[in-house]
Amino acid sequence: MENHIHKAHRPAQSGSKAEKKGKGKQQQAFNEKAFAPKSGRRAERQGRRNVERDQTRLHVPLVNRTPDDEPPPVIVAIVGPPGVGKTTLLKSLVRRYAKQTLHEVKGPVTVISGKRRRLTFIECNNDLNSMIDIGKVADLVLLMIDGSYGFEMETFEFLNILQSHGFPKVIGVLSHLDLIKKQATLSATKKALKKRFWTEIYQGAKLFYLSGVLNGRYPDTEILNLSRFISVMKFRPLVFRNSHPYLLADRLEDLTPREIIRASKGKCDRTVTLYGYLRGTNLRLSTKVHVPGVGDMDIKSITILGDPCPLPDADAEKRRKLSEKKKLLVHAPMSDVGGVVYDKDAVWVNVPGSFTRGNTDVYQGEGEQMVMDLQDVDATLEDTVARRQIRLLGSSSNHLTVDAPGILSGDEDEDQGSGMDDDGVGDEAESEEGGEEDNLSEDGDESPNDDLPGITDRGRFGLRMVSRPTHNLASTSEHKGGRVEYADSDSDIGHLDQDDWEGGVMYPDGDNAQDIPSDDEESDGAPAWKAGLAAKAEASFENSSRRRSRKDWISLIYSSALTPEQIAQGDSNASHEISSDDADDDFFRIRPATLVNGDDLDMTKELVSPDSLKEWEDEALLDSIRALFITGEQAAPEKDTAEENEYEDSAGGDFEDLEAEPSQPPAVEDPEAKRTADLAAKKELLKRKFDEQYDDPEDAKIDFYDEKKEEINRQLQLNRAEFEGIHAEARALVEGYRPGSYVRIELSNVPCEMIENFDPSYPIILGGLLPAEERFGYIQVRIKRHRWFAKTLKTNDPLIFSLGWRRFQSVPIYSLDDHSIRMRMLKYTPEHMHCYATFYGPVALPNSGFCAFNSLNGETTAFRVSATGVVLDIDRSAKIVKKIKLTGVPFKIYKNTAFIKDMFNSALEVAKFEGANVKTVSGIRGQVKKALTKPDGAFRATFEDKVLMSDIIFLRAWYSIQPRKYYNPVTSLLLSDKAHWAGMRLTGQVRREEGLKTPLNVNSHYRPVERSARRFNTLKVPKKLQAALPYASKPKLMKPQGRRTYIQKRAVVLEPEEKKAIALLQQIRALRKDQLARRKEKQHERKEVHRKKVEKEEANKDEKEKEKRKDYMRAAGMKSKREADLEEGRSRKKRRT
Amino acid sequence: MAQTGSLLHFSDHQYLRQRLVLSILSGKAVRIDKIRSDDKNPGLRDYEVSLLRLLEKATNGTVIEISVTGTAILLKPGIIAGGSVSHDCPLSRSVGYFLEPLIMLAPFAKRPFQLSLRGITTDDNDLSADLVRTVTLPHLQLFGISDGLELRIKKRGSPPEGGGEVQFLCPVVKQVKTLNFVEPGKIKRIRGIAHAVRVNPQFSNRMIDASRSVLNRYIPDIYLYSDVYKGEESGKSPGYALSLLAESTTSAIQCSEAVSKPGVTPEEIALTATHTLLSEIRRGGCVDRKHQNLVLLMMVLGSEDVGRCRMCEPSARTIQFLRDIKSFFGTSFKIVPAEPSDPSSTQLLFSCYGTGYINVNRSLA
Repeated sequence: MENHIHKAHRPAQSGSKAEKKGKGKQQQAFNEKAFAPKSGRRAERQGRRNVERDQTRLHVPLVNRTPDDEPPPVIVAIVGPPGVGKTTLLKSLVRRYAKQTLHEVKGPVTVISGKRRRLTFIECNNDLNSMIDIGKVADLVLLMIDGSYGFEMETFEFLNILQSHGFPKVIGVLSHLDLIKKQATLSATKKALKKRFWTEIYQGAKLFYLSGVLNGRYPDTEILNLSRFISVMKFRPLVFRNSHPYLLADRLEDLTPREIIRASKGKCDRTVTLYGYLRGTNLRLSTKVHVPGVGDMDIKSITILGDPCPLPDADAEKRRKLSEKKKLLVHAPMSDVGGVVYDKDAVWVNVPGSFTRGNTDVYQGEGEQMVMDLQDVDATLEDTVARRQIRLLGSSSNHLTVDAPGILSGDEDEDQGSGMDDDGVGDEAESEEGGEEDNLSEDGDESPNDDLPGITDRGRFGLRMVSRPTHNLASTSEHKGGRVEYADSDSDIGHLDQDDWEGGVMYPDGDNAQDIPSDDEESDGAPAWKAGLAAKAEASFENSSRRRSRKDWISLIYSSALTPEQIAQGDSNASHEISSDDADDDFFRIRPATLVNGDDLDMTKELVSPDSLKEWEDEALLDSIRALFITGEQAAPEKDTAEENEYEDSAGGDFEDLEAEPSQPPAVEDPEAKRTADLAAKKELLKRKFDEQYDDPEDAKIDFYDEKKEEINRQLQLNRAEFEGIHAEARALVEGYRPGSYVRIELSNVPCEMIENFDPSYPIILGGLLPAEERFGYIQVRIKRHRWFAKTLKTNDPLIFSLGWRRFQSVPIYSLDDHSIRMRMLKYTPEHMHCYATFYGPVALPNSGFCAFNSLNGETTAFRVSATGVVLDIDRSAKIVKKIKLTGVPFKIYKNTAFIKDMFNSALEVAKFEGANVKTVSGIRGQVKKALTKPDGAFRATFEDKVLMSDIIFLRAWYSIQPRKYYNPVTSLLLSDKAHWAGMRLTGQVRREEGLKTPLNVNSHYRPVERSARRFNTLKVPKKLQAALPYASKPKLMKPQGRRTYIQKRAVVLEPEEKKAIALLQQIRALRKDQLARRKEKQHERKEVHRKKVEKEEANKDEKEKEKRKDYMRAAGMKSKREADLEEGRSRKKRRT
Repeated sequence: MAQTGSLLHFSDHQYLRQRLVLSILSGKAVRIDKIRSDDKNPGLRDYEVSLLRLLEKATNGTVIEISVTGTAILLKPGIIAGGSVSHDCPLSRSVGYFLEPLIMLAPFAKRPFQLSLRGITTDDNDLSADLVRTVTLPHLQLFGISDGLELRIKKRGSPPEGGGEVQFLCPVVKQVKTLNFVEPGKIKRIRGIAHAVRVNPQFSNRMIDASRSVLNRYIPDIYLYSDVYKGEESGKSPGYALSLLAESTTSAIQCSEAVSKPGVTPEEIALTATHTLLSEIRRGGCVDRKHQNLVLLMMVLGSEDVGRCRMCEPSARTIQFLRDIKSFFGTSFKIVPAEPSDPSSTQLLFSCYGTGYINVNRSLA
């Protein structure tokens, strides 16, 4: 078969195909002319376009604080008006990822969507508060729109909220498309909705179409497509979330003792734990948190828990596909996953159908297993522990004894509360015990009459451990050689039977090893376990002596009670033999009170003692630091070896001693090897330099953008590497709790209403606050009234802001910049223009966006976002002024001087305004000069011209106003009816509700202005003066002409022809008049007919409009009915299960 | 404004400056009591009161309450306002005492600082104006605070009469960069300023010669300037001083200074300064010992990244400063030997995770 030759293909030699082929080939060939620019100018333009296109690709490099390994789950929020199909979509998506059907969805649901990604789905209800909170944490929003109905107001409101808090990714989802029966209408609707959606988000935003519901879910293929889009979505870090830690709580527990609650009838403040994945930046224990809807709170404790929904590990990674088991994991503590519901104070296990123990062919869920395990227990915990041989350390020879029950309860508490691995607790216990033991034994030896006689009793260790459980959390730990040592973890127990133990132990200061032998010498009646200690310690002393000079700075600084002077002093005599007084400055010593001197100045320079400088007169010492200069480099290796011994004995003091041992071994053993290594290094450097210069200079040069990105990556890598491998708790102390970890956060003093009125359908967010954000001040913002908001905003009307994590009501004052001189108050916000607003409230970082609302209630049909803007400035005082005009009247006028009264009340007030500018209504400018003695408050003023008695004098002044210090956090989560939070009402609202009338100032009434015509006296120029004036200036008084004029004197008589002509003209005019009248009448008739026609048409049109409106209302009615049905259906379903 | 919930308690008059600075930066109110309560002359000294006044001038909304006896103060910090501030320093301390805390605050002000201080410019206790100009400001530049950062020495003033004047200009930053400085390098140049006011100008030349006699053996790149201020600009009292600084290949700076004392020859002053410089060089590290606090503070305030810096062993001030930072910002440092393989080196590697301090005061309007 293989060697069978196929008949070769013979292309057509003639005909249309042959012609086509030839042509086609010619077309396919690369035509240089088609792609080359025709002219130089065009080439330039093309080049420029390419460069510009490249630039548009670039964006400001942002650091992503979320770790790449183990990122927190992506929050996917499903938002939309009620009845649009949010729950159905959530169930469908969970079903797609977890292969499980949730019956009732409450709170966040976390599933694994891929090897590197988890998703947290959360449904957002229709409350504006929830929408605001969700908008602040969602990474991806699935915005659901009812295709059969169109956009609703909430959708637009939500988009505006998103816009002001950093825009997360949005995917539109059109549902209920099966209700549109006609294909043409369907496509038209899709098109119209898409167009609107694109204008809202951006051109080309993704919009999904979901058709009907099958088995209570959307069609699988459509959900699959949507899930694919979700899983490949990339997220750009948002600035606000990249600088704040936050957490979306997926579980909430009340830890308050029942008794206290009972005693206070449930009204006491609660201790609450929230569980969830950390997001954003690292969360530190010292940060304050804000729970939107509740308020600011302090974190009591944070515990890292095991990930309830872990990413597939490396072993699963090897297999190409995710194993089915992993896929099935879904974490939704508030919902009924796995038949287990975590209630406030109980755990409910849902058992399907009839259930019998031992029936193995029925699948047993988590809950059933748990209950059965509990039932299986046949002995109490105490018995079990007594029977088991629990050892504190893997290495300890004796197991724990149970003569003190405290140890068990303590351990149990730790385990239950924190869920930490036993290892951690063990570690803590060990170190704790070690420190305690060490300390006590010393005390006991030196002062035998100590009040703790039973120090060697082992049963007490446990007790002590429990008594100070938090001590170790505060101490930082030091990492070295892959294992953790706590500051005071120089455990003697460890020495007991393991020789290589001290290999990893670092002594805080080397005196322990010294102490122990001395103890031994004077030991009287030391217990048996101490017997072998001396020899062991002796041996370990040799090992550790090399390390003695090095101190554990971290523990010295952060967890010892030594004064800084003592620590600093300690470093100067570190290498000296440890003196006896050094030995007794142990951790728990009373600070010497008499250290403070009168002349103890807070100074930067240290006093140099002339003695310490004396050593520099020694030539050898001078030469010894030659290696630290660039010129000393070459000479250094030889010199080091040659001269080191020389000055070693000559120079005393610390420096030399430190130098002595360590530098010797390398120096002695291989000067040759070192030289070759140096040479190799130098060659390498030279080679790199050469390469840089001659190899491809363009390649080496990277542009600004790449450089920045690389810098960011380098820093991130460093961040990861620096604290890698340190024990998690210790690491958390240094750098905080990292995003991506599942934590339990304990909050104390939480208002009881939060627990009592807890509703899982309202999201609970824990937002970390920066130190600055805890403070209050006047915040100046740039604000613009939303163009869809119907009313203008008025100064001093309360407004609800959503700024940072917070939602609060405050009283803003609007202002505008007046020629960069002053901020001038505005009574109302301007139309279509930004203005400034200043209000009192918690500080937010400049440049953070906000949106404002007049009311958060859902009753209004109008658009609720009243304004949006950005924070500009934070200050402790506001500089807003409003104009005030003082008026006065002249009571005595000299030439350009006038005495003014009625402007001020006292001479003091006048003194305050001396030199101020005044002005008359007619525009004559002047100045306040000096107060007059006689009428109180009157003053002398000069003007540029003579004023009149009838003039009013104005003084324009500026009055500075401060915004009211009003801050009212929106505590919606504390209400039983969470959608109806009511803050301070507007004045008008209060008046309306109280039935009060607006107070009216009499002077503010508008009355008709009566302006009597001014009468001026005639100007009389004295005769004498008149005579002296030149002619041009003389008053010229004209008399009316008395004589008749030439024309007036003449009489006119008509000729017969003229008479005839006039008569004829008259007749013609009469005819014309008649004609016009007739024409007008005709026109009127025609118009009448036309009007009737138009009227008829109008009536028809109205009819049609009415019909249309009826149709629309019918559709809306059907929708609401369907909603009601759905609600009913839900409740029915609930009842059934 | 009683919104500052957290109040920190300290006692003792020592480390007053750094606690005030940290309080203003962190926004936490601070109460310091037992200020020299056991002393014959209890309470705040004149320069401390003057510092409090200066801080009040430089900030907006700060509330300072001093108890009747002067042994306790309460500071409720406001915001750092900046702008042009001028202050007459008392003659008991030099300008450096006041400048040091202000340098820490200035980058986080609302407006660029133009601070002019009058008083003593060089003395034994605090950084002299020369050192601030040549050493402190370069340390700030490590953190990206550079454009418009300047210290002008208008007039020199020696103790006891003073009469000097300096002008400090500092730009405003949004956030300081973090530091990653672990390579101390080798000393490549030595610079110095010798000044003599109201004494024989030959004194400064004598100091330079004496200093060169020691330093010349190391490197050729040594420039010691003789700075002469005459007439009005030379203050009210006679005095002279030599300040030296050594810069390494990685621009790590070490410095020293010696100030004239009665009965001591200029040569001896110069030798003291030179020997101090040599011991500083021997101690090594990437930053100067007197500026450890400044560098550590900026590292803590830096972006939310890991900052690392190699330093010599901390002084007592630095140790207390680290403790204070922990109580104000909750940040602790990881301190490990810089060269674990080489036991002889006493240098330490300080690393911390920055708090991501953002200058909230900076306005956009």
